[in-house]
Amino acid sequence: MNDPVLPLAAFWPGQFPGILVGLPLVVVASVVFAATHHEQPAAILRATLQWIGWLGGILGAVLGAVIVLGWMV
Amino acid sequence: MASPVTDNRPSGARRRGRIVAVSPDDGAAIDLRNPALAAFLSWLVPGLGQLYQGRRFKGGLFMGVILFTLVVGMWLGGGRVVYASWVPRALAPGRPLVARIDRWSFLCQAGVGLVGLPALAQAMSLHGSGLAPILPGGVFAPPVVPRQLVARAYAERLVQGDPDIERDDFIDRPPVRESRIDQLSLWHRQLGRWFDIGTLWTMLAGMLNLLVVYDAWAGPMGSEASGRSVPGGGAGPAGGVSAGGQGGSAGGPGGDEPRPGRERTRGPR
Repeated sequence: MNDPVLPLAAFWPGQFPGILVGLPLVVVASVVFAATHHEQPAAILRATLQWIGWLGGILGAVLGAVIVLGWMV
Repeated sequence: MASPVTDNRPSGARRRGRIVAVSPDDGAAIDLRNPALAAFLSWLVPGLGQLYQGRRFKGGLFMGVILFTLVVGMWLGGGRVVYASWVPRALAPGRPLVARIDRWSFLCQAGVGLVGLPALAQAMSLHGSGLAPILPGGVFAPPVVPRQLVARAYAERLVQGDPDIERDDFIDRPPVRESRIDQLSLWHRQLGRWFDIGTLWTMLAGMLNLLVVYDAWAGPMGSEASGRSVPGGGAGPAGGVSAGGQGGSAGGPGGDEPRPGRERTRGPR
C-alpha cells in the first residue's frame, strides 16, 4: 500500500495516529469561517481562534465520547 | 436613530454607483465591483474574486488556505480522488438516457472550478465517443470499470502508468479495448484509508470555497449592516443600503430606483 504520510510519520515516535491528519481541517475551516464573517486581519485572527476553540471542543468531545464508549464495550 | 456615516468608497465608485458591502468590523464600504464576475472568479480559483475586488488580504488568505487543502488532499489521495463519474443508462427502450452518478463526493469537490472543470471534461471525454480522457496524463480521469470500452492508446497508457495493471486486463475489441479491471478497487487497495482521507480533504476544500464564492458575491456574512448600494451611489432610507450601512444615505435622500432583487436592506437592530 502506498502511504503518502509515511515519510512524515517516520519522524513520529511509535505508530502515527491517522486522526492527526484531520486536525489541519479544523484550522482551515476556522480560517474560512472567520474570514467570511470579517474583513480586517485582526478580527479574522480573533474569530479564527474562537472557531478553532468551538470546533476543536465539539469534535474533541465527540472523540472523547467515542473513546469512552470504546473502552466500555 | 442611526447616525449618518461616511461613504468610504472611492469617488469613482460613488459616481458610478458601484455595488458595495459593508465591513462588519469598521463599517467601511467594500467595493464589490462586478459581484457576479467576482463570484465566478472565486469559484474558478479560490480568492481570485476577492483579489479582483481589491481585497488582497482576504483573496490571498482564501487562495492559500483552500488551495493548500485541495493540494494536500490530492497528495494524500495519490492524485486520484478528484474525478467525476456517472453511468448512463436507459430506463426503458426508447426513453432518454439518464445518468447514475457514481461519485457523489464530486459534487462537493466541484466547489472549486480549478479542479471541477477539468474533472468534468475528463469524465465527459472518457464516457463520450473519444473513449479516452482529453487532458494529458489522465489526471482527474475517472477509474475504468469492468466491461468499459476504452481507446487503445488510453489502455496502453494505463498499463504503462500502473504496475498493477497488465495488458491482459484489457480484451482486444478492435478498434478499442474492453476493460476487465475495476480500477477503483485497485486504487482503494493501493491507497487504503488515504483514498478516503484525501477525498475528505478535497470535499472540504470545495465546500469551503462555496463560502468564499458567497463572500465575493455579497461581502462578509453576518454583518448586521451589510448590503448593496444602488446605481447612483446610495439609496434613500426606504430604498436600500447606504455605503456605510447604518441606515443613512451616501447619495442623498431618495437615491435612485433600487435594482430589483439586487440590493438587500438590513438596518441596525
